[in-house]
Amino acid sequence: MLAVPCAPIGEVDDVALSLARDLLDTMRGAGHSVGVAAPQIGVSLRAFCVDVTGHRKARSCHGEVVLFDPVIVESSAPEIGREGCMSVPDLTGDVARATSLHVRGLGMDGELHDYDVDAFEARAFQHEIDHLEGLLFLDRVIADDRVFRRRMYR
Amino acid sequence: MIVPHVAVTALGNDRPGIVAAVTGVLVRHGGNLEDTAMTNLGGHFAMMLVVEVPDGESAEALERSLVDEVGAEMGLTVAVRPIVDDPGAGPEGAPWAVSLYGADRPGIVHAVAQKLADYGANIVDLSTRVIGRGPEHAYVLLMELSLPANADADQLGDELSALAAELGVEIHFRPDDAEIL
Repeated sequence: MLAVPCAPIGEVDDVALSLARDLLDTMRGAGHSVGVAAPQIGVSLRAFCVDVTGHRKARSCHGEVVLFDPVIVESSAPEIGREGCMSVPDLTGDVARATSLHVRGLGMDGELHDYDVDAFEARAFQHEIDHLEGLLFLDRVIADDRVFRRRMYR
Repeated sequence: MIVPHVAVTALGNDRPGIVAAVTGVLVRHGGNLEDTAMTNLGGHFAMMLVVEVPDGESAEALERSLVDEVGAEMGLTVAVRPIVDDPGAGPEGAPWAVSLYGADRPGIVHAVAQKLADYGANIVDLSTRVIGRGPEHAYVLLMELSLPANADADQLGDELSALAAELGVEIHFRPDDAEIL
C-alpha cells in the first residue's frame, strides 16, 4: 500500500469528505503528528492533511490543511534535512527538499486552492505528496549511509 | 528469550563478489543479517555484521566455514564472535552532529572524541575520509552523537571551537534532531 502510487479523487464527494475526516482524526489523535497521507491509513487515494501550527521550524503556516489531488506547481532549490516517518519506525534519514513551493489541489469545499508554503510546512507537504506517489523518505535519502536509527536517541 | 547472534567482521583488498560470497556462507548456515556496515576504506573492503543464527550454530563453526569457503579465495581476514549480552537501548540523550574538515595531522579524532567523552557524549556513528593525496591532503570527520540531558551543549560547543583553532581545522557542532512526519 505505501509503495504504490495512489488513484486520483477527481471529485470531492461524500467518500472524499469522510476520508478527510479520518485523516484529520488520525493526525489530531496522534498528538505529535504534523501530517497524514491517505495510504498511511490504508486508503490508496490522493489525499493528505497537514498542520504545522506551533512547530519551531515552521515559517509559513496555513493551520489545518486538507488537499485532494495535490500538484506541485513550482518549487525552489532543495535543502537537506533529517526526516522520519510514523509509518517507518526506528529510522530517520537525510532528505533534500525544496525550501519553498507552490501547491494546488482540491479543498474540502471541492474548489481548487493554492498554497505558497516554505520551511517546515514545505517539507511536510513534500513528504505527504511523496506518500501519494508511493514514495517513502527512504526512497529519497541523499546517500545510503545517511539513514539512522531513531531509537538510539530515545 | 534471547535469540542467538554473532558479530562477523571481514576485511580484505576490495574486489567484486565479496559481499555475495560472505553472505552466501551466512545464508547456508541459516543466518539472518541484521544491522550491518560495509564500506571501502582506502581500497580495503571492511564488513561488520550482526547476524541472527539458528540455535546450536556456533561462532567457531561459522568462522571456520567462512575462512575455508571464501577467506582464501577472496583474500579476507574473517572473525566471528558470539554476542551474548542484550545491549538494550543506548544511553539517553539528544542527537547532535559534529563535522570537521581541515589539513590532516595525527590526533584529530582522538582530541575530538576525548572532548566528547569528557562530557559523557556517546558516539553512535563516525566516519572519516582522507581527501586527496600527498602532503597537502585534507581530512573530513563526520560524527553523530547522543548528548546527555545534563551536559552543557553551549560550553561543549565553545570548547570544540577552541580545539578547532588549536588543531587548525574547521569544526561544526549542531543539534541533529529529525522531524517525524
